Amino acid sequence: MKRILIIEDEETLQKALAQYLTEEKFEVLSAMDGEKGVEIAILEKPDLIILDIILPKKDGFQVLDEIKSNNEIKKTPVILLTNLESMEDIQKAFEKGATTYLVKSEYKLEDIVKKINETLK
Amino acid sequence: MEFCKNKLKLKLDFVNDFDLEKQARDLGIKIWQTPSFLFIVFGVTAVIIMLATYFISKNYESPEVLVIAECLVVVVVFIVEMLVNKFIVQLTRLNKMKSEFVSIASHQLRTPLSAIKWETELLLTKFKKGLDKKQLKNIENIYSINQRMIRLVNDLLDVARIDQNRLILIKQKVDFLKIVEEVMEEIIPKAKLRNIEIEIDTKKELPMVVGDKEKVQIVVENLFDNAVKYTNSGGKIRVKISKNKQYLEFEIKDNGVGIPEEQIGRVFEKFFRSDNATRYQTEGTGLGLYIAKNIVEQLGGKIWFKSIENVGSVFSFSLPISR
Repeated sequence: MKRILIIEDEETLQKALAQYLTEEKFEVLSAMDGEKGVEIAILEKPDLIILDIILPKKDGFQVLDEIKSNNEIKKTPVILLTNLESMEDIQKAFEKGATTYLVKSEYKLEDIVKKINETLK
Repeated sequence: MEFCKNKLKLKLDFVNDFDLEKQARDLGIKIWQTPSFLFIVFGVTAVIIMLATYFISKNYESPEVLVIAECLVVVVVFIVEMLVNKFIVQLTRLNKMKSEFVSIASHQLRTPLSAIKWETELLLTKFKKGLDKKQLKNIENIYSINQRMIRLVNDLLDVARIDQNRLILIKQKVDFLKIVEEVMEEIIPKAKLRNIEIEIDTKKELPMVVGDKEKVQIVVENLFDNAVKYTNSGGKIRVKISKNKQYLEFEIKDNGVGIPEEQIGRVFEKFFRSDNATRYQTEGTGLGLYIAKNIVEQLGGKIWFKSIENVGSVFSFSLPISR
């Protein structure tokens, strides 16, 4: 069973995504802020991380920096899932090593799972 | 002939520039605050300076006149300068507020909309056990109304970006036919509900075009949406994609309500909806064609149309073929 870490501070969104992923037979880990997100990522070494940008304590870009600079987890694919879609944010995310960048309101849960499966292949 | 037309247009533009009342109305400010009014004040000040110089040079033996005249000129220039400064600060602040609004709207409005989208999707797919047909239909309605809201927010954000010249398009090779087919897949069920037939005429092999996939999709969606929205039940929509020199052309023809002749010139204006369109269909913001025009032109293409009221419309656009 593949393990996915969701770092998302909006509870409704986090729960909806977690429920859908559980139904799709993934094991889900959750963090509601950036700091906790990095902690769990290092401790649990998930197969994939879904990361929001606007987060308390540490924002998504800081989290991405810390993941990519940690030898043990730097190869873990990170999907940025956010509602920001400025060109600067997208460019910054890819420069920092994000695997994919998705805009929440544009994606159905079904399509997010497709992207996760594509990334995990 | 063309030269005469341009000359006449220039002249009209010049006259319009000094229509202070119109300018004040357009910019939402008072007449004395309009740039043209301030321009006139500057002009008058310059004339006064010239007259004063002339007058003083003729009567240079009276230094008190020189002092008074210079004081007056300095005061006028100073006041005008202050006003101009104040308006520049005001405009910059407004522009900044608009940019901030775009980023706040993009995050704060979309977050609850995404939550509704995902929760309803969960109910419709993973947790539908125990729900009867009627309840599922209700949830489907919530889902599609929410999609409309997401679309509206996206449209408003796109318009704000266009107005600030910040609509960034990623120019890449795009499979145009695939985009049209994907949009048709979504739109055909909606058209069927209203008993509208959609036909497509195209070759299977078409060259790639220069575009931004998501934005080109918005253009195609907007044109399809309009055609379906403004065509009567039992109507027909015909789509044609063809190659024309260095461009790929898309044409969508309907036998819908059409556009009244006197309003044809305003079709691509922001928030414009023709009188018969608002009578026929209350839903719509008047932003779709404005956004479509900006996207197509920014990608190096053109958009145009023909329409006759109560007969129908043909909307077309072209995109450059990728080399």
